[in-house]
Amino acid sequence: MRRRIQAPLLFALLTLAAWQAIVTVANIPEYLLPAPSAIFANIDRTLAVQLAVTFVEAVIGFLIASTLAFGCAIMFVRFHTLEEGLFPIAIAVKTTPIVAVAPLLVIWLGTGWWSKIVAVILICFFPVLVNAVKGLKAADAEYRELFQTLGASRAQEFRKLRIPFCLPYLFSALKISSSLAIVGAIVGEFVGATQGLGYLIMVSSAHLETATLFAAIAAAALAGIILFYLIGWTEQRVIFWHSGNME
Amino acid sequence: MNAIALATRLEATPLSRPEPLIAIEGLQVRFDNVVAIEDLSFAVGRGEFISLLGPSGCGKSTLLKAIARLVPLARGRIVLRDPNLRIGFMFQKPLLLPWRTALDNALLPVEIQLGGSVVDPTDQSRAHRMLEMVGLADFARAYPHQLSGGMQQRVALARALMSDPDILLLDEPFGALDELTREVLNEELIRIWQSKDTRLHTVMMVTHSIPEAVTMSDRVIVLTDRPARLVEDVSVDCPRPRTPDDPDAVSVMKRIRSMVRGRR
Repeated sequence: MRRRIQAPLLFALLTLAAWQAIVTVANIPEYLLPAPSAIFANIDRTLAVQLAVTFVEAVIGFLIASTLAFGCAIMFVRFHTLEEGLFPIAIAVKTTPIVAVAPLLVIWLGTGWWSKIVAVILICFFPVLVNAVKGLKAADAEYRELFQTLGASRAQEFRKLRIPFCLPYLFSALKISSSLAIVGAIVGEFVGATQGLGYLIMVSSAHLETATLFAAIAAAALAGIILFYLIGWTEQRVIFWHSGNME
Repeated sequence: MNAIALATRLEATPLSRPEPLIAIEGLQVRFDNVVAIEDLSFAVGRGEFISLLGPSGCGKSTLLKAIARLVPLARGRIVLRDPNLRIGFMFQKPLLLPWRTALDNALLPVEIQLGGSVVDPTDQSRAHRMLEMVGLADFARAYPHQLSGGMQQRVALARALMSDPDILLLDEPFGALDELTREVLNEELIRIWQSKDTRLHTVMMVTHSIPEAVTMSDRVIVLTDRPARLVEDVSVDCPRPRTPDDPDAVSVMKRIRSMVRGRR
């Protein structure tokens, strides 16, 4: 476990040291490529607040999208007609670039929280839907025959068989959409916002404050990593029985 | 096996045919244009151990599924003596739920029957007894991935017994296991069938092993290749416990083998 942390940490430190040395020796101007020391100087309370704003937007949107998508997946699998009728629409929504829709969201929902949360929902919904539908159909036909011979109702078949079988699929979808959630929130903030990492990136790039820009980018990456590992941590506890997680 | 169990067993099956529990009459089952079972008739008596013997893919499993109402009948009928007859089904794969312990897997039929998830202590202790009966008393808290293939199939047997069936339908239950494990489990199945601790007195098992069919069954229903038709209904009258080397059993095996060969 310690080795697993030590090696990457060592390489990261070496990279940073090399970066610092090159910038100093080659005398690269800060607006082109700031030295790590200049970037670290920009880590302050303001950055933490902006990070928190973006993170909260992403998490709320992510939770709403995941719940909606899972509910839809259950309806799709339960009522096949719904799947046939609505899946093409879901694909249409998915293939529309979020960047193209974001300005519309700001017109409708203003520059506050909701335009960002809806952007996150739009971007997170589809991967969860597709994987959950696949997962809900993942139990072998023989398992369903077993439940039939035991006289299980449709609801019991979902509760005791299909939904637990779906969890590994659901969690891989949640991992994918967790990184997308940060993208959605930042895109929403690009278009119209008064706070958040996207806002900070827009403002600092307009002012050529490249060190702040780098700090914001690093913070965005950190937000994605935190969300990803939170889900991974939950996954290991919820689906301990899955082959990928067995000791 | 003890002598007392054997004696009671012999008493329970007089030489005359026992009352029929299930009557299969002129059964035809088809999938689209493929006929799986054609004009099949025979009766299953209460207390009998019956083997369905035939080449792989001949429609034996389909017959079990038809009795369990998993596939529709094209023609004919399957008459149950008692409409409330409880049918247990055991598949070739264990089909355990990997997120449940052995005990919770065994409790699944009870939970489904109750509708809600509240299982009372009586059922809990009955599930413990069933796991004990299949030799897994110490593994109640184990998850399927911690058990061997044979142990998983034992849990599946305990689960099938938990639904308290009048008749147990077994679709090559130990077919995926190695020879040794399979022999042990076959013997235990006979022991459970003979014991008075369960309601279970009637068993119908699919197999394609002639020695297995003859050593275990009261009757062997020999079927043709697809579509499955009745070749012969062979009564095995050798005393129990039997081994595959008993002269009587060997002669029955020979008879069946020549029957199966003769069809080709």
